Amino acid sequence: MTFVTRDRLLLGAGVTTAALLTAAAVVSSTAAAHAATVGDPAPAFSEHDSTGRLVSLEEFRGKTVVLEWTNDGCPYVRNQYATGNMQKTQAAAVKDGVVWISVISSRPGAQGYVTGKRADELTASRGAHPTHVLLDADGSMGHAYGAKSTPDMFVITPDGKIAYSGAIDSIETTNPAETAKATNYVVAALHALKAGGKPDPALTRSYGCGVKY
Amino acid sequence: MIRWCAALLASFLVAGAAMADPVKTEHATAEIIAERSAVVPGDQFLGALKLDMIDGWHVYWKNAGDSGESPEIAWATADGVKTGAFSWPAPHAIPVATLMNYGYEHQVVLPFEVTVPADYKPGDKLELKGQARWLICSDVCVPEQAQLDTVLSVADTPASNEASSNLIAAALANVPKPATGDQKVKRAPTGFAVGVADPEMALAAKTATSIRFYPDGPEIENAAPQKGYYGADGVSIDMQASDLAAKGDAPLSGAIIIEAKDGGRHAWDVKATPGDLPAGVTGKTIGAGPALGGLALLGILGAAFLGGLVLNLMPCVLPVLSIKAAGLVHTAHDPKESRAHGVFYTAGVVICFLAIGAILVALRAAGEQAGLGFQLQYPPLVAVFALLMFAVGLNLLGVFEVGTSLMGMGGNLAEKEGASGAFFTGLLAAFVGAPCVGPFMAPAVGVALAQPALVVLLVFAVIGLGLAAPFLVLSFTPALARLLPKPGKWMSTFRQVLAFPMFLTAVWLLWILAAQAGSDGVILVVGGAIILSFGIWLATKIGGKLVGRGVAALIILAGFVTPAVLSAGTTAPAEAGTMTTAEADSQPWSPQLVADLQAQKKVIFVDFTARWCATCQVNKRLVLESSEVKKLFAEHNVAFLVADWTNRDGVIAEALAQYDRAGVPLYLVYPASGGPAEVLPQILSTGLVTKAVKEAAGTQTAQASAATPINR
Repeated sequence: MTFVTRDRLLLGAGVTTAALLTAAAVVSSTAAAHAATVGDPAPAFSEHDSTGRLVSLEEFRGKTVVLEWTNDGCPYVRNQYATGNMQKTQAAAVKDGVVWISVISSRPGAQGYVTGKRADELTASRGAHPTHVLLDADGSMGHAYGAKSTPDMFVITPDGKIAYSGAIDSIETTNPAETAKATNYVVAALHALKAGGKPDPALTRSYGCGVKY
Repeated sequence: MIRWCAALLASFLVAGAAMADPVKTEHATAEIIAERSAVVPGDQFLGALKLDMIDGWHVYWKNAGDSGESPEIAWATADGVKTGAFSWPAPHAIPVATLMNYGYEHQVVLPFEVTVPADYKPGDKLELKGQARWLICSDVCVPEQAQLDTVLSVADTPASNEASSNLIAAALANVPKPATGDQKVKRAPTGFAVGVADPEMALAAKTATSIRFYPDGPEIENAAPQKGYYGADGVSIDMQASDLAAKGDAPLSGAIIIEAKDGGRHAWDVKATPGDLPAGVTGKTIGAGPALGGLALLGILGAAFLGGLVLNLMPCVLPVLSIKAAGLVHTAHDPKESRAHGVFYTAGVVICFLAIGAILVALRAAGEQAGLGFQLQYPPLVAVFALLMFAVGLNLLGVFEVGTSLMGMGGNLAEKEGASGAFFTGLLAAFVGAPCVGPFMAPAVGVALAQPALVVLLVFAVIGLGLAAPFLVLSFTPALARLLPKPGKWMSTFRQVLAFPMFLTAVWLLWILAAQAGSDGVILVVGGAIILSFGIWLATKIGGKLVGRGVAALIILAGFVTPAVLSAGTTAPAEAGTMTTAEADSQPWSPQLVADLQAQKKVIFVDFTARWCATCQVNKRLVLESSEVKKLFAEHNVAFLVADWTNRDGVIAEALAQYDRAGVPLYLVYPASGGPAEVLPQILSTGLVTKAVKEAAGTQTAQASAATPINR
């Protein structure tokens, strides 16, 4: 056993330490990655809109931003637009200086996936008022926000924090008559922010069709 | 005459069965059924909403999960007729992309209670009438509805409807039964642990393949993996909390469903209150499979050793091994030194494999889906490794010599290989070799990973022994070692030649990195290589001065660390996932796509692959991209799906686990007739693929003719 010298032992110890450190680094790097929630800084994004312009969250600093995950084939989204509830909410928000961003995270070929041109046609035919329609076909933005369904809504404060996350309104339905009776959470959240308060509820369970990642 | 007719009609009504017409919608057939065909006044009996769905579509449980909506009936019954709420049979977890839904496929029967008004008279009719509404989904969702109306006759004595009452009884038997014993939930910072002290559940858990908690509410992250345990007295489940869960202690209710190996399901309704988990509900992992018997373990260890041995022939370890070979030539004249190096090399290999095994165990414990080759799924590690290969290449070329401690670990490998060099070569060989662990071992490792940590480590250690075995034998057998050529001037030439496989290995790693971190990542590493070269050059210029050497060491370190740290932040371009195949006619794999294509009666070929998997690349170049196979796929209209595991991907890891695999490659061929896929061997040949595809397509014609009714 002459080959076990002090130097070699030290080397062995060093290598083992390095291996353990690597292990720790690998494990800790996988532990993170959880979608942002109310109170957190809104995840930055940079996506092309329907006109091909690169739109990022940064440029709207100082303004309230609403994110609306949408899919024109989803019955829950259709109901929101058929009743005019979504357009009304958009129009009122935009009039108040709010930036309204509709996001389409459907993967190519899946329901709701559209080209920029088709997205603009939908906006026109539905009489919608989004500031931008973002095409997130790789789902990166959807995953960063943890968007699960359409419609899934986020309200972001002027200083870039998520103030509201969840459903558009209080009644999960594809029935226009029911929607008419629902409380619109996004309208309530925007009012609360405008009045200098905090949305209540700030976090609800979103409903609808799954996002077609 | 008219009176006579009416009397006849009335007698039919009294004696006859319930009258109901199932309503067919685009994706389902709906009907209200009842366990009675005739009821008596004041009677209480069971009815049910029965939905038969077309293949590939599902409706939802009382909690739909991440999206969806449960079925309901808006009743329009006469005054006094009372209908109760649905009883919900145990749901299934239905993953859709990255989301998790809870619901039913094929058929669901939702029982409810009906009370007949006491003032009804024999001869009256009881109408179960209402509008049923349900959301039915595959990848897309469609709300459907139907006006249902089932008429039962009121008589003096009740009459049973055999078929319907069987269906209803079966549905009720599937409704989760209340768990007995203590039921507790304990809040952790990011999740919950639920524990139930129900010995019956403990018993079911022993032979279970899986356990899942289906929450009544939105408290848990539905798609996150859950971990189940059992003890002598009950079961417990760890799960991740959702944003909507209360931050503090709160009750948690839902269903616990345990699936047995034979496909049987047992469901309990759980109402847990905050508190410490009851004793005896943890200790053993559910779904870990029964402990391996001694023989089975020996078999796995044998396969592991063989797999390690075969690794010596894998393209990814060859460059490293040639260094070792050169070292062996050198020490051949000194048996003692030779033995020492053999032992150190083996130690290096085994420790590296043990470290990989330990990390895998830790990752799995953290709920991460990881498999062999995972070390090359982390861009920083790939970057560092590419640089290391580059540095070793420079050393072999003679750009620098390191005999002292400054870079002792990476230094002077071939010339006068010290124990450290031998150890390092071993580490290196194992690190590059692990992702190549393929043909012999994938099943063994797959099985091993489901075993307790100690078994996993044992298997990995044995793989290492297998890899190290040839050199160990050589170094302990001077007679064999003396057969190797005598050292001489050719050695330095040979050493320089060896530099080039090292550089090629670095390029291979850059190719992997390109898929993970995009061109930015590659540029960073190349930049790092230049910094590294500068540091090394500086070190050789400065020579022995301590300060200078410190500076040079810092620069060399920077060459390694900068790209590693920065590449962690870069992301691959969106299209990177499909780059592995470079095939225009392949599509990215997803479980949903497989289901869709199966519904279209297509033959599906799934290629689970990764850039860092050499076997995968060989199969791809030689077989999958050959003109024969391309023609074959076109002829049989085969859908070619590629699941690229170059980057970490939980969905793919889960699919691999279903086939007891911990790594790629995995090739599946789904028959056109539907049903389970055939698993192809890990080394493909054109003939093999042709046979499998033809069979998969052929069953379609066989099935089609069999489906034509002959006897009816």
